[in-house]
Amino acid sequence: MIVFDNVYFQYEPEGIEALCGVSLTVEDGEHVAVVGPNGCGKTTLIRHINALFTPSKGSVTINGYDTQDAGRRNEIRQMIGMVFQNPDHQIVGMTVEEDCAFGPENLRLPTGEIRERVAEALDRVGIAGLAGRNIETLSGGEKRLAAIAGILAMRPRYIALDEPTAFLDPVSARLVLEMIDKLHSDGVGIIHITHNMAEAAGTERIIVMNKGSVYFEGTPQVIFRNVDKLKTIGISLPQITELLIRLRESGLPVRTDIGDMDGAVSEIKGLINK
Amino acid sequence: MYHTGFYLNGTSPIHRLDPRVKLAAVIVLSMVILCVKPPIVILVAAVCLCIVFAGSIPLRIIGQAVKPLIIFVGLIFFTHAFFSEGEAIALVNLPYLNISLSRNGMEEGGLVALRFLCLIVAAVILTTTTTPSRMIAAIKYVLGPFKRLHVPVDDIAVMMMLAMRLLPLLLMEKERVETAQKTRGCDLQGKRLAVRLKAFIRLTSTILLGVFRRADELALAMEARCYNRGERTAFVELSMRKTDYGIAAVLIVAGGVLLGLNSFI
Ligand SMILES: Nc1ncnc2c1ncn2[C@@H]1O[C@H](COP(=O)(O)OP(=O)(O)O)[C@@H](O)[C@H]1O
Ligand SMILES: [Mg+2]
Repeated sequence: MIVFDNVYFQYEPEGIEALCGVSLTVEDGEHVAVVGPNGCGKTTLIRHINALFTPSKGSVTINGYDTQDAGRRNEIRQMIGMVFQNPDHQIVGMTVEEDCAFGPENLRLPTGEIRERVAEALDRVGIAGLAGRNIETLSGGEKRLAAIAGILAMRPRYIALDEPTAFLDPVSARLVLEMIDKLHSDGVGIIHITHNMAEAAGTERIIVMNKGSVYFEGTPQVIFRNVDKLKTIGISLPQITELLIRLRESGLPVRTDIGDMDGAVSEIKGLINK
Repeated sequence: MYHTGFYLNGTSPIHRLDPRVKLAAVIVLSMVILCVKPPIVILVAAVCLCIVFAGSIPLRIIGQAVKPLIIFVGLIFFTHAFFSEGEAIALVNLPYLNISLSRNGMEEGGLVALRFLCLIVAAVILTTTTTPSRMIAAIKYVLGPFKRLHVPVDDIAVMMMLAMRLLPLLLMEKERVETAQKTRGCDLQGKRLAVRLKAFIRLTSTILLGVFRRADELALAMEARCYNRGERTAFVELSMRKTDYGIAAVLIVAGGVLLGLNSFI
């Protein structure tokens, strides 16, 4: 379990607070989305999860280990994988498999086990065929999958992803999202930062951030029931939700707390059948 | 375009050879080539050429590697050709200078140029047939004994890997900044030197700033994957096969034979 207790954080000693009083918990195996306008502190928040940053005030504990405890940091970082927003900033190896091996090498695993884990991780994200490829020859989507494989090779219990579909074309984005869903169904906890409310609609819980603190949180249904609240902080709704709201405004009795295509389809179908 | 190093994918016997043997071969070759007499230099050059074919390295690649050095090689050749003692073939009359082209000088210049080219070709063979990671593993192996003297061998290996990874990014960054500056009207063709110098400094500082920021982020990403300084294990494990031992033996014998032959002729 990941627990944030009243966390404050500043980048510079006298600077503004990038996080001010964040409290939240994420359970084992949960799929959580973190949304919010640009600069609201999403990236700063998830960097606290694996002790890259530690709070100026308050505490972050991972399965009972405080991130301030330097002796536990390696354990924490192995337990919670971090996928950076830009894979180019994350990938250190020259080929896909070498980058994938970077984490296990740091964990000082024997060569045989490293190879086993690399093969497994590449297979899990579906890029086993790219193992020997030079990173610079990959497409954006493939790079992103390679970055995720590099994290999976450490066999984490949670994965935090910072805008995993940023810079991707719709097809690659789809592929990455499906991959995340698969990991979640394998029991990996997912903390998923996104700009895209439609993406967030597919998770179990949405945490909305604004100006360095948690603005409100709840299941997608609860969040989409509070569209006005979202609009005041400048978060745009999924187009499908906008459509349902318009339909409702024009007199059709549809629910508007739906953010995903499947939900909308069954809602409209139900209406037609009535 | 910006592939790391010059490595060419392949499965030739040269590709499969243990990188430590290759590294040793290059060292032996450099020593031999620099201290033997002309006929043996030609022999070694021929062997180099055979290895190029055995490694199925396109001659175009060799050409690319030699191209930036061609002026240097030419300079070596002409300096020898014109400034050596010997029977003159042609006289060049220049004010203040009285230089002559001699057969002896041309031979000498050709030899030095050939030696130099052999070294380049050997380096190209090594880098085109060895993946950077196997190369780093080989260097790590060679440096292994220095661990006792607290030389941070594992850290050096990581640094080399990062350097190779950052190099193409650096080039891309340069191109990006250059294009950005050009679109803002900073075309430097034909401008005064002072203007160009200023623009150059601005370009370099912009790139450096970008690279520092990126290095910061990369350091964070490495930390996120449990990187700590010191001992790590390795994905790439070198192991000598029978062939590798065989080639190493051949190498030692060939080096000895060539040096022996050299003192005969
Ligand atoms: N390296 C940094 N130094 C100083 N301030 C920063 C740094 N990174 C982010 N900030 C500031 O912290 C706040 C939160 O940023 P960030 O967590 O990146 O937001 P988000 O990921 O939600 O867009 C912003 O006001 C941003 O300007
Ligand atoms: Mg961010």
